Amino acid sequence: MLTLLGLAGLIFLFYLSFFWVSTEIRQGIAQRIFYVHVPAAWTAFLAFGISALCSGVYLWLRDDRLDRAAMAAAEGGLVFATIMLTTGPLWGKIAWGTYWTWEPRLTLTLLLWFIYLGYFMVRSSTEDPEKGKRFAAVVAIVGALDIPFIHLSVIWFRSLHPEPVVVKPEGPSLPGDMLTTLFTGLAVFTVLFLGLFLFRYALEGLRAEADLRARRSAA
Amino acid sequence: MSLYLRQIGAIVRKDLLLELRSRERMTSMAAFAVLAGVLFSFSIDTATVRPQDVAAGLVWMTLVFGGLLGVGRTFHLEAQDGAFQGVLTSPAPKDAVFLAKTFANFVMLYLVSLLVLAVFALFFGLDVGQNLRWVVFVLGLGSLGFVALGTLFAAVATGTSMGETLLPVLVFPLLVPMVVYGVGSTDRLIAGRPLAEVEGNIRMLGAFALAAVAAGAALFRFVVED
Amino acid sequence: MRAIKILSTLGVVLLALSALSAVGLAQEMENLPQASDLARQSLRPYWHVFAAYTIAIVLIGGWAVSIARRLRAVEERLLD
Repeated sequence: MLTLLGLAGLIFLFYLSFFWVSTEIRQGIAQRIFYVHVPAAWTAFLAFGISALCSGVYLWLRDDRLDRAAMAAAEGGLVFATIMLTTGPLWGKIAWGTYWTWEPRLTLTLLLWFIYLGYFMVRSSTEDPEKGKRFAAVVAIVGALDIPFIHLSVIWFRSLHPEPVVVKPEGPSLPGDMLTTLFTGLAVFTVLFLGLFLFRYALEGLRAEADLRARRSAA
Repeated sequence: MSLYLRQIGAIVRKDLLLELRSRERMTSMAAFAVLAGVLFSFSIDTATVRPQDVAAGLVWMTLVFGGLLGVGRTFHLEAQDGAFQGVLTSPAPKDAVFLAKTFANFVMLYLVSLLVLAVFALFFGLDVGQNLRWVVFVLGLGSLGFVALGTLFAAVATGTSMGETLLPVLVFPLLVPMVVYGVGSTDRLIAGRPLAEVEGNIRMLGAFALAAVAAGAALFRFVVED
Repeated sequence: MRAIKILSTLGVVLLALSALSAVGLAQEMENLPQASDLARQSLRPYWHVFAAYTIAIVLIGGWAVSIARRLRAVEERLLD
């Protein structure tokens, strides 16, 4: 546990220093949002992926640890998806001239956000925890299955209604230092997520133990 | 296999008979459809928008909201008087129960969707004549996909303390593909475009409906087990 | 207990970092040409970058702090 803390702390230093390096790069100021946006998006998808996977295996093996992992990952995914959803429009306003467009990836993340909101609402509104775990796992799995459909359909929808103002500057291959910054961002966000994810997971384990003891002492 | 089908048939018959006698869900869905048509007619400023252009989207929205009204109560009655325990302890496998419930819901929602189409055609002066067969087919596919997801999550929502209020949060994000493909194809069919233009849409809609039914049948047993 | 301390420090440091980034941006802004209209237009990207980084940092920090608080509550329960 402690090693992870150390790692998170260390990475955190990297985080700090590298972002200061990146601020020196002078090519389109707004483009710097990119370095939090893309890693956040990647982390959110990673987290939701872990969550869906753990949910699936949970229904199969019924190991409580898998359920805890799924929930911890889902919570992290929600945090990082929120970052992605808020930083995206901030960049979009400058690059595209509008805060929100139904850009496929943005739309997909928004819907994922709501699917996982449902995930937590289902969990918190069931009296029987075992039932809540199963329900939440079902939500996560159906959500994951629906993703390809959602993705295809929003792409199709966009091609039907092309946004007239949006000129998408899909930047050419990035210069080396930007690439370095981007990859650092990716690594830092991933490690930060994993570190916090493990804490969240441990928290859930402790909570289960506390519940168990409370039940035992009550009996 | 024939046993499986007979089990499904028994539950479907029970559900439809129940509905035929009480008329609870059909009445509320049908009334909702007509009233939504009235309200939508007033919500459109005909000076700026041609009603025909937005009608397809409104048909689908009415279908989604009205469907939620009826499908959300799939397990309500049975959960209240404990009869669902009986259904579950019967020898019928859980996926048969799900398929039966879905089919019963499908029959009801499909009838309602045809009513919605008729009401909107009347109120908005739609000319669906030339592609009527395909519009009806598309509505059927859409209803099937909706009902499959709706039934699965109605079972989930009934098990929570929030009940049916939870259903939209769970189902709406998942319905995006259905609305996109459904509206896309209905829109063009009503406008009298040739079928070839929307064939891809209809295929995707069918794939979505099939996937929803399959996922529901596979996952339903985790929702209702005890 | 150590875990709680480290998590809260992480959270607090992250929040402090967001303040630091404000200072950094303010410095960058001084390099801008001061022509009033132009400056206001080109200030907007800076403001957005600042907001984006702050949001990211505050959210991650907030998550860390919330985990720490919940950990503390559970550990207190375990000690009872």
